[in-house]
Amino acid sequence: MAINKLANETVLAPPKTRSRSWERWSGVGLLLSVLLLWETAVRLTHTPAYLFPAPTAVFRYLFSHLADLLLAGGVTLLEAVAGLVLGTAVGLALAVIITFWQQLEQGVMSLAILIKSTPIIAIAPILTIWLGFGPAPKVIVTALLTFFPVLINALTGFRSVDVALLDWLRSLNATPQEIFLQARWPGARPYLFAALRVVGPLALIGAVVAEWMGASSGLGRAMWLAYTNLNMPALFAAVFILTGLSTAVYQTIVWLEKRFLFWE
Amino acid sequence: MKQSLDIQVRQLSHSYAATHALQNINLHIQPGEFVSLVGVSGCGKSTLMRLIAGLQTPTQGNIWLDGQPSEAARAAKQIGWMAQQAALLPWRTVLENVQLAQKINPQKRAVPQANELLNMVGLADFAAAYPLTLSGGMQQRAALARTLATGTAVWLMDEPFAALDELTRELLAGELLTLWQQFQPTVLWITHNLHEAIRLSDRVVVLTPRPGTIAGEIAVPLPRPRDDTSMAFQELLRQARALLRRERVHGD
Repeated sequence: MAINKLANETVLAPPKTRSRSWERWSGVGLLLSVLLLWETAVRLTHTPAYLFPAPTAVFRYLFSHLADLLLAGGVTLLEAVAGLVLGTAVGLALAVIITFWQQLEQGVMSLAILIKSTPIIAIAPILTIWLGFGPAPKVIVTALLTFFPVLINALTGFRSVDVALLDWLRSLNATPQEIFLQARWPGARPYLFAALRVVGPLALIGAVVAEWMGASSGLGRAMWLAYTNLNMPALFAAVFILTGLSTAVYQTIVWLEKRFLFWE
Repeated sequence: MKQSLDIQVRQLSHSYAATHALQNINLHIQPGEFVSLVGVSGCGKSTLMRLIAGLQTPTQGNIWLDGQPSEAARAAKQIGWMAQQAALLPWRTVLENVQLAQKINPQKRAVPQANELLNMVGLADFAAAYPLTLSGGMQQRAALARTLATGTAVWLMDEPFAALDELTRELLAGELLTLWQQFQPTVLWITHNLHEAIRLSDRVVVLTPRPGTIAGEIAVPLPRPRDDTSMAFQELLRQARALLRRERVHGD
């Protein structure tokens, strides 16, 4: 069929996947150079470990206490992820509510901005006093820290539906629910993932800050103990673990994004 | 449900905040008729179509589809809508896009299966493709299949092929005519291309620039397929061009 033949010729070829291994290795190389420079500088200047430990000292501590550190990291990660899920759910729910009942926008947004503007460092001790040294205050602090970017981005996403698409759906007399499910929700996914890329690493910071205010376990507690003992290698080791976890969370979100935004 | 229905526009005027878009439009489109609406950019043709589709309410005047107000016609899911952008859902395959139209707009009258519709518009091999991987022409083919899938008795088409290249546009316009003859809907076709209007329609209605009023209309009694090199075709084209040009001078 002539039409099919024409159609075959006009279809766009998929973009060629270029090897990105060079770029990846350049990042590792840069990291190793920084560590090497750090190690050399510390050794040359004979800086004591209680002021600025060399990477080797940090890694020595890290591997000798690996089980404890990983356990602490696991606790913090769980708190952060639970808080992230809660914050995202609340942010999304508020965005959906505002999308369907616009008259609530003023009220909900005023309250959200008020909560967002309150310094989290001030709320954390209050929550710790109320809820104790367990995971509950950490989860809440993390949720408070993460819900706002999700709310704003989801709302923007729900509202930025292509006008032509909206016209088509309305011409078919689609219900607001159908328009939401078919157009607004899937269309908001890129906005939602943009927010998650920001709040993913932020969630770990939220959990650690809350742990500093008093915790029975977690990386924040490990850091606090190391800090009070001036155990710099331990402090750095905890920071290394935290950075690793943060990177892992970010990469997981990027991976999820690729899976959920398959059409782009 | 009727195969096609008439569109009646009476003493219609419409203004936006500062602009007077349309003034005293009277138009009657017969069931199954193919009418083109021609005018320069910004003359209110798209506004008129949105009003007929019931997407906006006119400031004055009335619109009836098959004797009922346009909002009721929209509520009864009788409007088929196609615009310059294909407006497909990028996260659904071509087939899923066509199926969605049938899901949102289930018809009492028998409509061919989504797969068969894709076959009709030459997209049978691309049922599983995502819209963003297709060319503009193929996206509009999918949008056309989607319009067919809604099984509506009225097709409102706002320059659906305007963004395509000349050859693809002519090819698709020819296929559209075939589908129109097969499905027999009432068609309101908006364009700024006089040649296309005369090639396709039973009647060409020319609009003046802002505020849009009807400058005149030209019946096209030629049998289809039309030979655009014939004397009669050229004469109609000349008449339409004169009408459009005269109005443009007046409008300036």
